[in-house]
Amino acid sequence: MNGIRFRLNGKDTCYEGSAADRLLDVLRDEYDMKSVKCGCKEGECGACAVLIDGVLINSCCVAMGAVDSHEILTVEGYRETARFEALSKAFADLSAVQCGFCIPGMILAAEALLSKNAHPTEQEVRTALSGNICRCTGYNAIVNAVMNAAKEGDGLW
Amino acid sequence: MVNGYKPTTLQEAVEIKGRTDAIPYAGGTDLMVKNIPDAVYLFLNDIDELKQITQDDEYIHIGAAVTFTQALADDLVPPLMKEAISRIAAPAIRNAGTFGGNLGNASDKADSVLAGFALDARVRLVSVSGERNIPFDDFCVRRGVTNIGDDELIAEILLPKEKCALPYYYKKIGGRSALAISRVAFAGAYEVRDGVIQAISATVIGEGKFTRYREVEATLIGKKVDEVRANADEYAERFIEKMTFIRGRVSTEYRKVVVTNLFKDYLASLE
Repeated sequence: MNGIRFRLNGKDTCYEGSAADRLLDVLRDEYDMKSVKCGCKEGECGACAVLIDGVLINSCCVAMGAVDSHEILTVEGYRETARFEALSKAFADLSAVQCGFCIPGMILAAEALLSKNAHPTEQEVRTALSGNICRCTGYNAIVNAVMNAAKEGDGLW
Repeated sequence: MVNGYKPTTLQEAVEIKGRTDAIPYAGGTDLMVKNIPDAVYLFLNDIDELKQITQDDEYIHIGAAVTFTQALADDLVPPLMKEAISRIAAPAIRNAGTFGGNLGNASDKADSVLAGFALDARVRLVSVSGERNIPFDDFCVRRGVTNIGDDELIAEILLPKEKCALPYYYKKIGGRSALAISRVAFAGAYEVRDGVIQAISATVIGEGKFTRYREVEATLIGKKVDEVRANADEYAERFIEKMTFIRGRVSTEYRKVVVTNLFKDYLASLE
Protein backbone atom coordinates (compact mmCIF):
# COMPACT_ATOMS: atom_id res chain seq x y z
CA MET A 1 0.00 0.00 0.00
CA ASN A 2 1.42 3.34 -1.05
CA GLY A 3 0.89 6.60 0.73
CA ILE A 4 -1.17 9.47 -0.62
CA ARG A 5 1.08 11.78 -2.59
CA PHE A 6 0.15 15.39 -3.16
CA ARG A 7 1.66 18.86 -3.16
CA LEU A 8 0.98 21.06 -0.18
CA ASN A 9 1.87 24.70 -0.61
CA GLY A 10 4.36 23.76 -3.31
CA LYS A 11 6.02 20.92 -1.37
CA ASP A 12 5.80 17.24 -2.32
CA THR A 13 4.04 15.50 0.51
CA CYS A 14 3.16 11.89 1.30
CA TYR A 15 0.40 11.01 3.76
CA GLU A 16 0.58 7.51 5.18
CA GLY A 17 -2.72 7.62 7.12
CA SER A 18 -6.20 6.55 6.11
CA ALA A 19 -7.62 7.61 2.74
CA ALA A 20 -10.91 8.19 4.56
CA ASP A 21 -9.41 10.84 6.86
CA ARG A 22 -10.77 14.33 6.48
CA LEU A 23 -8.49 16.77 4.66
CA LEU A 24 -9.42 19.50 7.16
CA ASP A 25 -8.23 17.44 10.14
CA VAL A 26 -5.08 16.26 8.39
CA LEU A 27 -4.10 19.79 7.34
CA ARG A 28 -4.50 21.11 10.87
CA ASP A 29 -3.23 18.18 12.94
CA GLU A 30 -0.64 16.50 10.73
CA TYR A 31 0.78 19.48 8.83
CA ASP A 32 0.06 22.28 11.31
CA MET A 33 -1.87 24.40 8.78
CA LYS A 34 -3.83 26.29 11.38
CA SER A 35 -5.17 28.90 8.96
CA VAL A 36 -7.66 26.23 7.91
CA LYS A 37 -10.52 26.62 10.38
CA CYS A 38 -13.12 24.09 11.42
CA GLY A 39 -16.51 25.81 11.56
CA CYS A 40 -19.19 23.27 10.74
CA LYS A 41 -17.87 20.07 9.10
CA GLU A 42 -20.86 20.22 6.78
CA GLY A 43 -19.65 22.40 3.92
CA GLU A 44 -21.91 25.19 5.10
CA CYS A 45 -19.53 27.84 6.38
CA GLY A 46 -16.43 28.03 4.17
CA ALA A 47 -14.01 28.54 7.07
CA CYS A 48 -12.03 25.45 6.00
CA ALA A 49 -11.87 26.34 2.31
CA VAL A 50 -8.60 25.64 0.50
CA LEU A 51 -7.59 25.72 -3.15
CA ILE A 52 -7.20 22.33 -4.81
CA ASP A 53 -5.60 22.78 -8.22
CA GLY A 54 -6.65 26.42 -7.94
CA VAL A 55 -10.31 25.57 -7.28
CA LEU A 56 -12.04 26.59 -4.04
CA ILE A 57 -13.06 23.49 -2.04
CA ASN A 58 -14.26 23.03 1.55
CA SER A 59 -11.60 20.80 3.10
CA CYS A 60 -14.11 19.36 5.60
CA CYS A 61 -15.86 17.65 2.70
CA VAL A 62 -12.77 16.01 1.24
CA ALA A 63 -11.34 12.60 2.09
CA MET A 64 -7.57 12.28 1.78
CA GLY A 65 -7.77 9.70 -1.01
CA ALA A 66 -9.35 12.30 -3.25
CA VAL A 67 -6.34 14.63 -3.07
CA ASP A 68 -3.87 11.99 -4.25
CA SER A 69 -1.88 13.57 -7.12
CA HIS A 70 -3.42 17.00 -6.57
CA GLU A 71 -2.07 20.35 -5.40
CA ILE A 72 -3.33 22.07 -2.27
CA LEU A 73 -2.85 25.70 -1.36
CA THR A 74 -3.66 27.15 2.06
CA VAL A 75 -3.05 30.68 3.34
CA GLU A 76 0.29 29.43 4.76
CA GLY A 77 1.47 29.04 1.16
CA TYR A 78 -0.50 31.87 -0.35
CA ARG A 79 0.74 34.49 2.10
CA GLU A 80 4.14 34.68 0.38
CA THR A 81 2.58 36.14 -2.76
CA ALA A 82 2.04 39.71 -3.96
CA ARG A 83 -1.63 38.87 -4.47
CA PHE A 84 -1.97 38.04 -0.80
CA GLU A 85 -0.27 41.35 0.05
CA ALA A 86 -2.84 43.23 -2.01
CA LEU A 87 -5.74 41.43 -0.35
CA SER A 88 -4.23 41.76 3.10
CA LYS A 89 -3.73 45.52 2.68
CA ALA A 90 -7.27 46.00 1.36
CA PHE A 91 -8.78 43.98 4.22
CA ALA A 92 -6.77 46.04 6.75
CA ASP A 93 -7.55 49.39 5.13
CA LEU A 94 -11.29 48.72 5.24
CA SER A 95 -11.36 47.01 8.65
CA ALA A 96 -12.76 43.94 6.99
CA VAL A 97 -11.36 41.68 9.69
CA GLN A 98 -12.97 41.48 13.08
CA CYS A 99 -12.64 38.13 14.89
CA GLY A 100 -10.76 36.76 11.89
CA PHE A 101 -12.08 33.20 11.96
CA CYS A 102 -13.64 33.33 8.49
CA ILE A 103 -10.84 35.35 6.88
CA PRO A 104 -8.55 32.57 5.55
CA GLY A 105 -11.55 31.13 3.71
CA MET A 106 -12.56 34.59 2.51
CA ILE A 107 -9.06 35.28 1.21
CA LEU A 108 -8.91 32.03 -0.75
CA ALA A 109 -12.45 32.55 -2.08
CA ALA A 110 -11.30 36.00 -3.26
CA GLU A 111 -8.21 34.50 -4.89
CA ALA A 112 -10.36 31.84 -6.61
CA LEU A 113 -12.56 34.60 -8.01
CA LEU A 114 -9.85 37.08 -9.01
CA SER A 115 -7.70 34.43 -10.69
CA LYS A 116 -10.59 33.82 -13.09
CA ASN A 117 -12.08 37.28 -13.18
CA ALA A 118 -9.64 40.09 -12.34
CA HIS A 119 -12.28 42.82 -12.52
CA PRO A 120 -15.42 41.45 -10.90
CA THR A 121 -18.62 43.37 -10.30
CA GLU A 122 -19.88 43.70 -6.75
CA GLN A 123 -22.50 41.03 -7.45
CA GLU A 124 -19.83 38.65 -8.72
CA VAL A 125 -17.85 39.21 -5.52
CA ARG A 126 -20.94 38.51 -3.42
CA THR A 127 -21.63 35.30 -5.33
CA ALA A 128 -18.00 34.19 -5.03
CA LEU A 129 -18.10 34.72 -1.25
CA SER A 130 -21.62 33.33 -0.80
CA GLY A 131 -20.37 30.08 0.73
CA ASN A 132 -18.25 31.86 3.32
CA ILE A 133 -20.12 32.85 6.43
CA CYS A 134 -18.99 35.77 8.61
CA ARG A 135 -20.73 36.49 11.90
CA CYS A 136 -18.97 39.78 12.66
CA THR A 137 -18.77 42.14 9.76
CA GLY A 138 -22.08 42.03 7.96
CA TYR A 139 -20.08 41.31 4.79
CA ASN A 140 -20.02 44.80 3.26
CA ALA A 141 -16.51 45.59 4.44
CA ILE A 142 -15.25 42.27 3.09
CA VAL A 143 -16.94 42.76 -0.27
CA ASN A 144 -15.52 46.28 -0.51
CA ALA A 145 -12.06 45.00 0.44
CA VAL A 146 -12.11 42.46 -2.39
CA MET A 147 -13.27 45.15 -4.82
CA ASN A 148 -10.45 47.41 -3.60
CA ALA A 149 -7.85 44.68 -3.86
CA ALA A 150 -8.91 44.08 -7.47
CA LYS A 151 -8.51 47.79 -8.18
CA GLU A 152 -5.32 48.47 -6.24
CA GLY A 153 -3.77 45.17 -7.26
CA ASP A 154 -4.57 45.67 -10.93
CA GLY A 155 -2.21 43.54 -13.01
CA LEU A 156 -1.55 41.00 -10.26
CA TRP A 157 -4.40 38.76 -11.37
CA MET B 1 -3.76 3.57 -0.18
CA VAL B 2 -5.15 2.66 3.27
CA ASN B 3 -8.97 2.45 3.44
CA GLY B 4 -9.42 3.44 -0.16
CA TYR B 5 -9.16 2.48 -3.80
CA LYS B 6 -8.28 4.95 -6.47
CA PRO B 7 -8.78 3.48 -9.93
CA THR B 8 -7.97 5.50 -13.03
CA THR B 9 -10.38 3.75 -15.41
CA LEU B 10 -14.07 2.94 -15.17
CA GLN B 11 -13.34 -0.72 -15.92
CA GLU B 12 -11.02 -0.90 -12.94
CA ALA B 13 -13.58 0.90 -10.74
CA VAL B 14 -16.34 -1.51 -11.73
CA GLU B 15 -14.13 -4.49 -10.91
CA ILE B 16 -13.39 -3.08 -7.45
CA LYS B 17 -17.10 -2.40 -6.91
CA GLY B 18 -17.83 -5.99 -7.86
CA ARG B 19 -15.54 -7.52 -5.27
CA THR B 20 -15.62 -5.05 -2.34
CA ASP B 21 -18.09 -2.98 -0.30
CA ALA B 22 -16.15 0.22 -0.90
CA ILE B 23 -18.39 3.29 -0.98
CA PRO B 24 -18.35 5.23 -4.27
CA TYR B 25 -16.89 8.70 -3.69
CA ALA B 26 -17.07 11.40 -6.35
CA GLY B 27 -17.25 14.92 -4.87
CA GLY B 28 -17.47 14.05 -1.18
CA THR B 29 -19.81 16.92 -0.32
CA ASP B 30 -22.60 14.71 1.01
CA LEU B 31 -20.55 11.68 1.93
CA MET B 32 -18.15 13.52 4.23
CA VAL B 33 -21.04 15.14 6.08
CA LYS B 34 -22.40 11.67 6.85
CA ASN B 35 -19.04 10.88 8.40
CA ILE B 36 -19.43 7.10 8.07
CA PRO B 37 -17.24 5.37 10.67
CA ASP B 38 -14.46 3.11 9.30
CA ALA B 39 -15.42 4.01 5.75
CA VAL B 40 -13.54 2.53 2.81
CA TYR B 41 -13.97 4.67 -0.27
CA LEU B 42 -13.84 3.94 -3.96
CA PHE B 43 -12.52 7.26 -5.29
CA LEU B 44 -14.02 8.10 -8.67
CA ASN B 45 -12.87 11.72 -8.83
CA ASP B 46 -9.89 11.12 -11.13
CA ILE B 47 -11.49 8.84 -13.71
CA ASP B 48 -11.50 10.79 -16.99
CA GLU B 49 -14.31 8.70 -18.52
CA LEU B 50 -16.64 9.87 -15.76
CA LYS B 51 -15.77 13.54 -16.21
CA GLN B 52 -16.94 14.09 -19.79
CA ILE B 53 -19.92 15.97 -21.17
CA THR B 54 -20.70 14.71 -24.68
CA GLN B 55 -23.57 14.30 -27.10
CA ASP B 56 -24.87 11.87 -29.68
CA ASP B 57 -27.92 12.20 -31.95
CA GLU B 58 -30.39 11.64 -29.16
CA TYR B 59 -28.82 12.51 -25.83
CA ILE B 60 -26.57 14.86 -23.88
CA HIS B 61 -24.35 12.62 -21.74
CA ILE B 62 -23.12 13.96 -18.42
CA GLY B 63 -20.51 11.79 -16.67
CA ALA B 64 -21.19 10.80 -13.08
CA ALA B 65 -18.13 12.68 -11.79
CA VAL B 66 -18.82 15.92 -13.68
CA THR B 67 -19.02 18.76 -11.17
CA PHE B 68 -21.77 21.37 -11.20
CA THR B 69 -19.21 24.11 -11.91
CA GLN B 70 -17.96 22.15 -14.92
CA ALA B 71 -21.50 21.70 -16.23
CA LEU B 72 -22.35 25.38 -15.75
CA ALA B 73 -19.50 26.28 -18.10
CA ASP B 74 -20.48 23.78 -20.81
CA ASP B 75 -22.65 24.77 -23.77
CA LEU B 76 -24.12 21.27 -24.11
CA VAL B 77 -25.88 21.43 -20.74
CA PRO B 78 -29.46 22.67 -21.18
CA PRO B 79 -30.70 25.89 -19.51
CA LEU B 80 -33.17 24.16 -17.17
CA MET B 81 -30.38 22.00 -15.74
CA LYS B 82 -28.07 25.01 -15.50
CA GLU B 83 -30.64 27.06 -13.65
CA ALA B 84 -31.24 24.27 -11.15
CA ILE B 85 -27.58 23.55 -10.43
CA SER B 86 -26.57 27.22 -10.36
CA ARG B 87 -28.55 27.53 -7.13
CA ILE B 88 -27.04 24.54 -5.38
CA ALA B 89 -25.27 25.64 -2.19
CA ALA B 90 -22.31 27.94 -3.02
CA PRO B 91 -19.22 27.93 -5.29
CA ALA B 92 -17.02 25.63 -3.17
CA ILE B 93 -19.75 22.98 -3.08
CA ARG B 94 -20.57 23.36 -6.78
CA ASN B 95 -16.84 22.95 -7.48
CA ALA B 96 -16.91 19.51 -5.86
CA GLY B 97 -20.48 18.17 -6.03
CA THR B 98 -21.30 15.87 -8.93
CA PHE B 99 -24.27 14.62 -10.93
CA GLY B 100 -23.61 11.01 -9.96
CA GLY B 101 -23.46 11.89 -6.29
CA ASN B 102 -26.58 14.04 -6.38
CA LEU B 103 -28.51 11.14 -7.90
CA GLY B 104 -26.92 8.23 -6.05
CA ASN B 105 -27.24 9.93 -2.67
CA ALA B 106 -31.02 9.42 -2.99
CA SER B 107 -31.93 12.72 -1.36
CA ASP B 108 -35.46 13.90 -2.12
CA LYS B 109 -34.07 17.44 -2.40
CA ALA B 110 -31.46 16.95 -5.13
CA ASP B 111 -31.76 19.91 -7.49
CA SER B 112 -30.07 18.25 -10.49
CA VAL B 113 -32.34 15.23 -10.08
CA LEU B 114 -35.40 17.47 -10.18
CA ALA B 115 -34.27 18.98 -13.48
CA GLY B 116 -33.49 15.48 -14.75
CA PHE B 117 -37.01 14.29 -13.93
CA ALA B 118 -38.52 17.21 -15.82
CA LEU B 119 -36.38 16.37 -18.86
CA ASP B 120 -37.06 12.59 -18.94
CA ALA B 121 -33.47 11.87 -17.91
CA ARG B 122 -32.05 8.37 -17.82
CA VAL B 123 -29.13 6.91 -15.92
CA ARG B 124 -26.56 4.44 -17.22
CA LEU B 125 -25.38 1.96 -14.61
CA VAL B 126 -22.40 -0.30 -15.15
CA SER B 127 -21.20 -3.47 -13.45
CA VAL B 128 -18.86 -6.34 -14.29
CA SER B 129 -21.80 -8.27 -15.66
CA GLY B 130 -23.03 -5.55 -18.01
CA GLU B 131 -24.95 -2.31 -17.95
CA ARG B 132 -28.45 -0.93 -17.57
CA ASN B 133 -29.91 2.25 -18.99
CA ILE B 134 -33.06 3.19 -17.08
CA PRO B 135 -35.25 6.29 -16.57
CA PHE B 136 -34.82 8.34 -13.39
CA ASP B 137 -38.37 7.25 -12.42
CA ASP B 138 -37.21 3.65 -12.19
CA PHE B 139 -33.95 4.50 -10.46
CA CYS B 140 -35.33 6.65 -7.62
CA VAL B 141 -37.42 4.50 -5.30
CA ARG B 142 -37.95 6.79 -2.34
CA ARG B 143 -35.99 9.06 -0.02
CA GLY B 144 -32.70 7.30 0.75
CA VAL B 145 -33.38 4.38 -1.58
CA THR B 146 -32.47 3.78 -5.22
CA ASN B 147 -32.57 0.52 -7.09
CA ILE B 148 -28.85 0.49 -7.86
CA GLY B 149 -27.35 -3.00 -7.58
CA ASP B 150 -24.59 -3.77 -5.06
CA ASP B 151 -22.15 -4.28 -7.90
CA GLU B 152 -23.22 -1.27 -9.98
CA LEU B 153 -21.77 2.21 -10.43
CA ILE B 154 -23.46 5.23 -11.94
CA ALA B 155 -21.58 5.97 -15.17
CA GLU B 156 -23.53 8.89 -16.56
CA ILE B 157 -26.87 10.60 -16.85
CA LEU B 158 -28.53 11.07 -20.22
CA LEU B 159 -30.75 13.99 -21.15
CA PRO B 160 -32.90 13.62 -24.28
CA LYS B 161 -32.01 16.48 -26.61
CA GLU B 162 -35.57 16.80 -27.79
CA LYS B 163 -36.65 17.65 -24.22
CA CYS B 164 -33.62 19.86 -23.57
CA ALA B 165 -34.74 22.12 -26.43
CA LEU B 166 -38.23 22.77 -24.97
CA PRO B 167 -39.24 25.90 -23.08
CA TYR B 168 -39.17 25.24 -19.34
CA TYR B 169 -40.20 26.47 -15.93
CA TYR B 170 -38.06 26.33 -12.81
CA LYS B 171 -38.51 27.82 -9.33
CA LYS B 172 -36.67 27.01 -6.15
CA ILE B 173 -37.85 28.07 -2.72
CA GLY B 174 -35.11 27.87 -0.07
CA GLY B 175 -34.46 29.57 3.22
CA ARG B 176 -31.96 32.08 1.79
CA SER B 177 -30.29 32.92 -1.49
CA ALA B 178 -27.10 30.90 -1.03
CA LEU B 179 -26.41 27.66 0.84
CA ALA B 180 -30.11 26.86 0.75
CA ILE B 181 -31.59 23.40 0.49
CA SER B 182 -34.78 23.39 -1.58
CA ARG B 183 -37.83 23.40 0.67
CA VAL B 184 -39.97 23.30 -2.39
CA ALA B 185 -38.88 23.46 -6.00
CA PHE B 186 -40.75 22.96 -9.23
CA ALA B 187 -39.53 22.08 -12.70
CA GLY B 188 -41.31 21.40 -15.94
CA ALA B 189 -40.72 21.46 -19.69
CA TYR B 190 -43.47 21.92 -22.22
CA GLU B 191 -44.40 22.40 -25.82
CA VAL B 192 -47.29 24.59 -26.91
CA ARG B 193 -48.30 24.81 -30.56
CA ASP B 194 -51.12 27.06 -31.81
CA GLY B 195 -52.25 27.59 -28.23
CA VAL B 196 -52.55 23.85 -27.56
CA ILE B 197 -50.35 21.89 -25.14
CA GLN B 198 -48.47 19.20 -27.07
CA ALA B 199 -46.20 17.94 -24.32
CA ILE B 200 -45.72 18.84 -20.67
CA SER B 201 -43.79 17.57 -17.67
CA ALA B 202 -44.27 18.53 -14.04
CA THR B 203 -42.12 17.52 -11.11
CA VAL B 204 -41.44 18.85 -7.63
CA ILE B 205 -39.18 18.82 -4.64
CA GLY B 206 -41.44 18.94 -1.62
CA GLU B 207 -43.50 15.79 -1.67
CA GLY B 208 -40.67 13.88 0.01
CA LYS B 209 -39.85 11.74 -3.01
CA PHE B 210 -39.21 12.24 -6.70
CA THR B 211 -41.83 11.24 -9.21
CA ARG B 212 -43.51 12.38 -12.40
CA TYR B 213 -47.21 13.17 -12.28
CA ARG B 214 -48.02 11.49 -15.56
CA GLU B 215 -51.78 11.25 -15.06
CA VAL B 216 -52.02 14.97 -14.44
CA GLU B 217 -49.69 15.66 -17.36
CA ALA B 218 -51.89 13.47 -19.57
CA THR B 219 -54.99 15.47 -18.67
CA LEU B 220 -53.20 18.65 -19.80
CA ILE B 221 -51.99 17.37 -23.16
CA GLY B 222 -54.25 18.39 -26.02
CA LYS B 223 -55.86 21.16 -23.95
CA LYS B 224 -55.87 24.79 -24.93
CA VAL B 225 -53.59 26.95 -22.80
CA ASP B 226 -56.46 29.44 -22.27
CA GLU B 227 -58.72 26.71 -20.92
CA VAL B 228 -55.99 25.40 -18.61
CA ARG B 229 -55.31 28.88 -17.27
CA ALA B 230 -59.00 29.55 -16.69
CA ASN B 231 -59.29 26.33 -14.69
CA ALA B 232 -55.92 26.49 -12.96
CA ASP B 233 -57.44 25.98 -9.50
CA GLU B 234 -59.07 22.76 -10.52
CA TYR B 235 -55.94 21.42 -12.21
CA ALA B 236 -53.88 22.37 -9.19
CA GLU B 237 -56.27 20.50 -6.94
CA ARG B 238 -55.94 17.37 -9.07
CA PHE B 239 -52.18 17.76 -8.99
CA ILE B 240 -52.07 18.04 -5.20
CA GLU B 241 -54.40 15.04 -4.83
CA LYS B 242 -51.74 12.86 -6.40
CA MET B 243 -49.25 13.70 -3.69
CA THR B 244 -48.69 11.89 -0.43
CA PHE B 245 -46.43 14.48 1.25
CA ILE B 246 -44.05 12.33 3.23
CA ARG B 247 -43.21 13.84 6.61
CA GLY B 248 -40.14 16.05 6.61
CA ARG B 249 -38.53 19.05 8.21
CA VAL B 250 -40.86 21.48 6.45
CA SER B 251 -44.56 21.25 7.39
CA THR B 252 -46.95 19.51 5.03
CA GLU B 253 -49.33 22.48 5.05
CA TYR B 254 -46.60 24.83 3.89
CA ARG B 255 -45.43 22.49 1.17
CA LYS B 256 -49.00 21.98 -0.11
CA VAL B 257 -49.62 25.70 -0.41
CA VAL B 258 -46.30 26.39 -2.12
CA VAL B 259 -46.60 23.46 -4.55
CA THR B 260 -50.13 24.62 -5.44
CA ASN B 261 -48.94 28.16 -6.06
CA LEU B 262 -45.99 27.03 -8.15
CA PHE B 263 -48.14 24.69 -10.22
CA LYS B 264 -50.54 27.54 -10.98
CA ASP B 265 -47.61 29.82 -11.76
CA TYR B 266 -46.32 27.14 -14.13
CA LEU B 267 -49.65 26.94 -15.94
CA ALA B 268 -49.74 30.75 -16.15
CA SER B 269 -46.27 30.76 -17.72
CA LEU B 270 -47.13 28.43 -20.61
CA GLU B 271 -46.88 30.10 -23.98
